[in-house]
Amino acid sequence: MKIFYSRIAFASLLLTFVGGLGAIDVDELPPPAKHEVNFVKEILPIFKKHCVKCHGPDKQKSDYRIDVKARAFEGGEIGAAIIPGKSAESPLVHFISGLDEEVLMPPKGDLLEDKTVGLIRAWIDQGADWPDDAGAQIADPMEHWAFKPLRQPGTPRFMDPMDAFLWVRLEAKGLKFSQQADKRTLIRRLYLVMHGLPPTSAEVTAFVENKDPRAYAKLVERVLASPRYGERWGQHWLDVARFAESHGFEMNRERPHAWRYRDYVIDSFNADKPYNQFVKEQLAGGTFGAEAATGFIVAGPHDMVLGSDPAHQATLRQNDLAEMVNATGTTFLGLTLGCARCHNHKFDPVSQNDFYAMTAIFGGVQHADRTIGSKNKLQRKTKLLAELEAVEKSLAELLKPPVAYDRNEEFFAPVKAKSVRFTVLATSNQGEPCIDELEVFGEDNKNVALGGTLKSSGNFANNPKHKLAHLIDGKFGNSRSWISNARGKGWVQITFLKPARIERIVWQRDRQGKLRDRLPTNYKIEIESAPGQWRVVASSNSRVPFGTKFDANAVAARKDLTEVQKIKTTALLKRHAVLRKELAEIETGSLAYAGKFAKPPKVFRLHRGDAMQPREAVAAGTLLKFNGARFAAEATEATRRTALAEWIVSPENPLTARVIVNRVWQYHFGTGLVDTPNDFGHNGAPPTHPEFLDWLAADFITHRWSLKHLHRRILGSRAFTQSSAPLPAALKRDAQSRLLWRFPPRRLEAEAIRDSILAASGKLDLAMGGPGFSLFEIQKENVRHYFPKQKFGPADWRRMVYATKFRQELDDVFGAFDCPDGNQSVPRRGRSTTPMQALNLLNSPFMLDQANHLAARVKKDAGPNVEAQVRRAFHLTLGRVPEIHELAAAKKLAADHGLPALARALFNTHEFITIP
Amino acid sequence: MLDRRSFLGKAATGLGGIALLDLLQRDRLLAAQPIRPDILPTRPHAARPPHFSPKAKQVLVIFCSGAISQMDTWDYKPELAKRHGQPLPGADGFITSQGQQGNLTRPLYPFRRYGQSGKMVSDLVSRIGEFADDICWVHSVKGKTNSHGPGENFMSTGFTADGFPSMGAWATYALGSENESLPAYVAIPDPRGKPQSSVNNWAPGFLPAAYQGVDFNSTHPVRNLARPASIPVTADRAARDLIQSLNRRHLERFPGDTDLAARIAAYQITGRMQTSIPAVSDLSREPAHILKMYGADDTKTKHKADYARNCILARRLLEKGVRFVQLFNGSYQTGGEGTSNWDGHKKLTAQYDVHGPIFNQPTGALLRDLKQRGLLENTLVFCCSEFGRMPTFQKGASGRDHNPDGFTAWFAGAGVKRGHTHGATDPFGWKAEQNPVTVHDLHATALHLLGLNHERLSYRQNGTERRLTDVHGHVIKEVLA
Repeated sequence: MKIFYSRIAFASLLLTFVGGLGAIDVDELPPPAKHEVNFVKEILPIFKKHCVKCHGPDKQKSDYRIDVKARAFEGGEIGAAIIPGKSAESPLVHFISGLDEEVLMPPKGDLLEDKTVGLIRAWIDQGADWPDDAGAQIADPMEHWAFKPLRQPGTPRFMDPMDAFLWVRLEAKGLKFSQQADKRTLIRRLYLVMHGLPPTSAEVTAFVENKDPRAYAKLVERVLASPRYGERWGQHWLDVARFAESHGFEMNRERPHAWRYRDYVIDSFNADKPYNQFVKEQLAGGTFGAEAATGFIVAGPHDMVLGSDPAHQATLRQNDLAEMVNATGTTFLGLTLGCARCHNHKFDPVSQNDFYAMTAIFGGVQHADRTIGSKNKLQRKTKLLAELEAVEKSLAELLKPPVAYDRNEEFFAPVKAKSVRFTVLATSNQGEPCIDELEVFGEDNKNVALGGTLKSSGNFANNPKHKLAHLIDGKFGNSRSWISNARGKGWVQITFLKPARIERIVWQRDRQGKLRDRLPTNYKIEIESAPGQWRVVASSNSRVPFGTKFDANAVAARKDLTEVQKIKTTALLKRHAVLRKELAEIETGSLAYAGKFAKPPKVFRLHRGDAMQPREAVAAGTLLKFNGARFAAEATEATRRTALAEWIVSPENPLTARVIVNRVWQYHFGTGLVDTPNDFGHNGAPPTHPEFLDWLAADFITHRWSLKHLHRRILGSRAFTQSSAPLPAALKRDAQSRLLWRFPPRRLEAEAIRDSILAASGKLDLAMGGPGFSLFEIQKENVRHYFPKQKFGPADWRRMVYATKFRQELDDVFGAFDCPDGNQSVPRRGRSTTPMQALNLLNSPFMLDQANHLAARVKKDAGPNVEAQVRRAFHLTLGRVPEIHELAAAKKLAADHGLPALARALFNTHEFITIP
Repeated sequence: MLDRRSFLGKAATGLGGIALLDLLQRDRLLAAQPIRPDILPTRPHAARPPHFSPKAKQVLVIFCSGAISQMDTWDYKPELAKRHGQPLPGADGFITSQGQQGNLTRPLYPFRRYGQSGKMVSDLVSRIGEFADDICWVHSVKGKTNSHGPGENFMSTGFTADGFPSMGAWATYALGSENESLPAYVAIPDPRGKPQSSVNNWAPGFLPAAYQGVDFNSTHPVRNLARPASIPVTADRAARDLIQSLNRRHLERFPGDTDLAARIAAYQITGRMQTSIPAVSDLSREPAHILKMYGADDTKTKHKADYARNCILARRLLEKGVRFVQLFNGSYQTGGEGTSNWDGHKKLTAQYDVHGPIFNQPTGALLRDLKQRGLLENTLVFCCSEFGRMPTFQKGASGRDHNPDGFTAWFAGAGVKRGHTHGATDPFGWKAEQNPVTVHDLHATALHLLGLNHERLSYRQNGTERRLTDVHGHVIKEVLA
């Protein structure tokens, strides 16, 4: 008799094995023993001696464990291993028989003796009796604190509950809360924690001098109401959501519309959107009226190098789906779902089937931009166009944009002229200059060049497309253009039919916008008012140089504008950009990198996570052990995501509230009550204060999942408002201050350091939202290359949460401060201290610029007296007055080496970059 | 509402105790107890003891970016020459990264025999062939992706995804460095730019930022290292003095604050680095015969001269005790496939005729120099690439497509066999056939030579004990001396 069974499962054990069916001749099996077998005395010792090394507590090769009753019968990847009553059909017997050379168990060392195999056969044939208390016992994986329903520990009434739970643990350790922090420290801590910016010196003074006992509570309200709050806490969320604005991997191309998700997050925090709503929108935004929110699902990296190999392509798609599932698990549930991709989760009650049920939820999600918002608002468009024209005209009087290939306009005061001459001095590519049409307008908007007579320095020979006559033929495009006969230079002259009053000239290389070469970049335009009397009315000098971005930096670089003009220009420019953007969006609808949704394909469990080894079909659904369900096959794509979201925020889900409350706690104190904020499973750390965590979570749900409510509670607690001074005796018992006998001071994150520097120097631009600014110059080959910018200007002085976040690439100055690279969810920033950080803060061009700006600000505020300057500089950076020795040392530095030297030093102090 | 007594009672018997016990029990069950190095906050790069007596103290990685073709360099395949122009058996309909296969194509450069080991090495890398008796070749490496970015990630970090710590980050996290005045871990990018997977190759991932590779080379110095020209020496010194005096005063108010002590130490080290990094990078004192040996005097081929300078820089860093040096040959910048790296898809010979000479002499000279200075005694040299190439030409092209199923890496120096070959591909160089080796095995072996147990060196991230080798990897015993 031959028995066949699937053996693909063992391919990995036997590296060279290629899947197929194996067979043994069961007649060759050693005969079963004749006596009645005792499992505990005769069988279990065999398992322990020969099998548990690979199929026991430490390893479960092929997902099989033999020393635990349930698992031994349940089997591993190939299905049941022991079939009671039928030893000849039990795969276990085949593997240990030594008859099948491709599956030999044990794989190393001697094979089992026939007598031993016979014992096992007899045990199976006799019914495979296994007493429940024999063998290893494993606990029910649901027996874990975080998987149990929230307990209601009861509210203590002898003390504010926010203090009571901590106080109990402190007292047990012989510790107590520290005294109240002084007001200066407190306001600085509050602002740095909640805004990531220091308070202004006026705010500090006002608070310190305020005698109102409710002054702090009122300050907390002000801080929570400020939009700076959403920017700070939005950044925390973006870390967890592994948000970035490029795809990652080797091409690392940009995602120009990803910022909408960033804005959505910031707005949500500022609006105190209930957290359950916030969760639902990010998974199923369309259903809940927040379309950009699904940027969460596709916020992770995405490899664009598909290649031709279908196995590779399938693997990439699975990587994307696994990434989405894993992000959803760690972010909202604190569960490492990714661990169940290749096998059942080793620690937590998440089966491989659960994992693929979750991938089926996202099966229709594609990495892509999606059009959101409404289109074609005609009235609005007309209004915007009118304003755009006005803005462009005002702008042109101050500073003109760089020359463009497709259209350039020159405005000048109306003047009477008989001729106009356009002289080219340089071109974009050093080629012969090309102009397709030169239009000259008077007040009545009539092109007076038509019908004029032409002269030139010389014409491109023998090409019917390029003729001097084309310059004023009223036709556009390369095939109706003039080209000079000299590289990089040439001139043309039009004499009008009769002298005319003119005020505007329009010209370009190719109005059709197809060709991008031969563009005059350095030129002048002269008019002849009386015979032989020429004067320049326009030139490239009044334009932003070709190749430069027309932004606030370009304005700041102009030497020919006064400060007032610069401010006016910058304001016009901003408005111009806003108008252009809104107009473009009216045409196209807005794009957001929020994923596209298609009909999801059928999903299969993948053996060992291998995209090329599909097994049984899996219906979409949520985690079964956590009150989850499998959805009906006809559930649409959107329905699936909605059901997932509802399951996550359902009051029965024990994880969601605990996880977010812990995150919020962590961002206040530096460490969470659970210090593995992305893992609340068996492998995570237990909470320091389990009852407190549950109490906070329950209170949070009761207060409509309001984050600001939770902030108020924490910010008002003794733990938050106490001093951070180290106490030797307490440090000995609790060096990490985990029990919060003091407020643990900590270094600021990269973004908060940069923002604080700009705030102190007075250069911080608080403009919110919209496309970000770039910290990099990008070389746009097929693959993108990023080079850290070395020169910064006002356009780069926004808060760093608005810096376009390119994957992998870290800012040259602040990247060294443990800035995430956007590839993985970062639940908690590192806080390392390195010499490279010091070098960056000491020597980078950005820092030197800001030191100069701070020095200028100090001088302006404090006047020429050095002591007054030093006091002002301390106040602006550290929010305090200098001590007497500090004052003397700082005065000496400022007097000997100038205020910028002092500014540079203060930015480099530990105190400046620390939450006190 | 609870009164104080009942509240206390409940809290004392609360869940915290149970959870902690549970955790301890589970930890005891884990076979390999994790080892996390004990790091002094003030000296993150101080030398730390390995897990056991090491064979190697330092590592030099030579990374051929773009995927160097094994059968045109060091995996000699006479059968491939014989079967030139025939289809690759077993590859009917086989699709690789860029599509369909053409026919088998003979090795494109002549091979000759080197040394007592009689190793066959191609003329393209003849200067490395001269050290065949010092090298331990591993011809049977198997990867798991045929895409460059993930492939380089895999070779440098053990994971195909972006965002994991590189081998150098792990090594310096575990061991610190022998020289705290220089970065513990230096990545030397090709003069033409960054490799395919860019900074991922020397990223710290979730390890502390202190273990990030500091990237610089002979043409691009360390950014922000030098005192700005606009600041006179005296002003710089005075400003630094004030910083340190303010920080020390802060420390008086906050005695025992380790972060603060670490910051004070970091500012002290910067002063030393500002001297030691320019000194180690200054090749002007290298004698003419050394420059000549490396090819750094080659005025005709700038890329070669610059790469040669990078090779000299690598040797100088190793001489100074830098723990981990990662030298790249090939970049993805300035052109993409084949034009500035080993990615020879379309016209392999034309491309390798350019890259071979850039790589050959300087790398050979580096081996010679390390050997003659005795640096190979303590240094493990590891030469790798993200994967190999196919024995066929791509259909309709004169180049070879990606092949992760069998390719070559080699070791030399401390603790490895000399003039030894481990593993083999099939007769065409396509698939690893004899003693297949995974990338994890290579990592496990490198860590082993540094005296580190790859199953125990760990970092706890998000509740997971992370390792360079994830849950895989075996030390390749056969390559150990």
